[in-house]
Amino acid sequence: MENKNRDKVLEVKNLKTYFFTEDGIVKAVDGVDFEVYQGETLGLVGESGCGKSVTAFSILKLLDYPGKTVEGQILFKEDDLLKKSEEQMRKIRGKEIAMIFQEPMTSLNPVFTIGFQIAESLKVHYKMSNLEARKKVIELLEKVGIPIPEQRVDEYPHQLSGGMRQRAMIAMALACDPVLLIADEPTTSLDVTIQAQILELMKTLLKQFNSSLIMITHDLGVIAEIADRIAVMYAGKIVEYTDTRSIFFSPLHPYTFGLLTSIPRLDMEMEKLESIPGVVPDPLHFPEGCKFHPRCGFATERCRKEEPSLLEIENGHIVRCWQVDRVREEAKKIAFTRRLAVVE
Amino acid sequence: MNNSLISIKNLVKYFPIKKGVFRSTVGWIKAVDKISFDIYNGETLGLVGESGCGKSTTALTILRLEEPTSGEIFFQGENISSINKKQMRKYRKDLQIIFQDPYSSLDPRMKIKNIIAEGLAAHNLLDSRTRVQKVGELLERVGIPPDYMDRFPHEFSGGQRQRIGIARALALNPKMIICDEAVSALDVSIRSQIINLFKELQSEFNLTYLFIAHDLSVIKYISDRVAVMYLGKIVEIAPKDIFFKNTLHPYAIALVSAVPVPNPDFKRKRILLPGDVPSPANPPKGCRFHPRCQKVMEICSQVEPELKKLDKDHYVSCHLY
Repeated sequence: MENKNRDKVLEVKNLKTYFFTEDGIVKAVDGVDFEVYQGETLGLVGESGCGKSVTAFSILKLLDYPGKTVEGQILFKEDDLLKKSEEQMRKIRGKEIAMIFQEPMTSLNPVFTIGFQIAESLKVHYKMSNLEARKKVIELLEKVGIPIPEQRVDEYPHQLSGGMRQRAMIAMALACDPVLLIADEPTTSLDVTIQAQILELMKTLLKQFNSSLIMITHDLGVIAEIADRIAVMYAGKIVEYTDTRSIFFSPLHPYTFGLLTSIPRLDMEMEKLESIPGVVPDPLHFPEGCKFHPRCGFATERCRKEEPSLLEIENGHIVRCWQVDRVREEAKKIAFTRRLAVVE
Repeated sequence: MNNSLISIKNLVKYFPIKKGVFRSTVGWIKAVDKISFDIYNGETLGLVGESGCGKSTTALTILRLEEPTSGEIFFQGENISSINKKQMRKYRKDLQIIFQDPYSSLDPRMKIKNIIAEGLAAHNLLDSRTRVQKVGELLERVGIPPDYMDRFPHEFSGGQRQRIGIARALALNPKMIICDEAVSALDVSIRSQIINLFKELQSEFNLTYLFIAHDLSVIKYISDRVAVMYLGKIVEIAPKDIFFKNTLHPYAIALVSAVPVPNPDFKRKRILLPGDVPSPANPPKGCRFHPRCQKVMEICSQVEPELKKLDKDHYVSCHLY
């Protein structure tokens, strides 16, 4: 893959983040490995509780009690973030790695103007004066497409619409030219037409700033649009990890395959919607063997007993499954490309 | 064949904006503003639109959970828009609703047995023993083991709770169920289970659905006809196949183009709408969409377009047509 020649921005190795609750240990993230290259977008996909957000919070070390990263390495520019002190982390957060959250209303402070909040990181990291920072903030607001930025800079979050607030969040994240952005469901709470605006904006800005992005979402449509590579998570582990086209056109894990056949879609006529039986397992009582086996149509005796490890099946296509060959055959039968409507 | 189960004529619902010590009314939120449409027997009408467009208000007003400001609602030919609560009771059996959030729409202090049987009890149907039996059957039908009927809502997952909500709606053998964003809060793998359940139940019990959602992909899969709302108005309504092949209203076109498609090779021209949806308290004059419309003409800011019949069953409210 062409990525081999590019610089690794982030490398997560065997990350384990557990929550020590009264009822027992919840293994929210249980041995996750991935890397992010310069300028690319990596999608982290999965359903609620699969550990995708906890992975993001672990990278920035934003977890509170009872959550704790117990093992692993997070190499950012070849430095292990897990070995850094809180003070050192503060120099990285917002400057080198910035985060965009899902709910712009709750993640912006209601008692400060958006200008003040965006300027904060500029003043902290670059020791800018108020005037300099304000100038830069107005510039940023203009870049993220907020009309009349000279006026908006002095407004409070409640005066902005949901879409505008998310733009302000993006401006805040980009303020210090971060190397890596982490976006946790940045468009989930927005309406579709506003979501389209924000996705287009993010794509443009990523190119402009040449930043890398970890995009966390449950929406396969959003991820198809923005990601270069995708890691699918299930029950705290990555189950499939490869480039975006392979995920969508030749999935090798039964979970990915199941997700793709169970979403209604606009680009093809669907006679019947498949579904994955059962529910996501309780994190306190994960099943033995492969964690997906109780819901898997391909499961055999081996799956029930032995947990598969993450293996590179094809060039750059990494899967955690014993039944890869059977899934491949099945995925071929349902050609995901059938009736590909191209709208001009 | 297309006989209407529900027929709505010029339905209006305004909410007052109150201000000051004396709570005097200073304006009106025009949540639903003169809409008319029919829901045919046995069909699924998908109602789609963005937050604040009035789709939920429409649903609540049809059920008389909100009183209409003006306009008429006909159920099987009977005008139910101005009858009193007592008279309305007999129609409540036939009109049921399933809400979006399965966490807040089930009473946490009631056993699910009682939640599901509440309607039966209220209408004095069946004696208590047959009621329990009926609850068991309903639970079984929606995919929950009947011996769970003595449990409380918190013991169930989101998908299971939605199934309980469905069982509750089915208990009175309704003719129509309104699904207000009933699958929006669910995870992908659970969502398809529930969508399929809706489809099965429809043919089994000959149900009519008003299916409200903001997700056009879901609407496309489940509906027979699609209605698009914008700022309290219906802008386009058509049979599904016609709607997706030949979308006409500029807002509907933009809406379809904005839906993310899970296919990295899917190429299309995306229409990005400028700005945000204006406030329903003060909607733009003329066509409500004109400030954001790419094909705006002079007339659009002056005259409000009517919902016109273009083809068989294809209605659009736009000056272009």
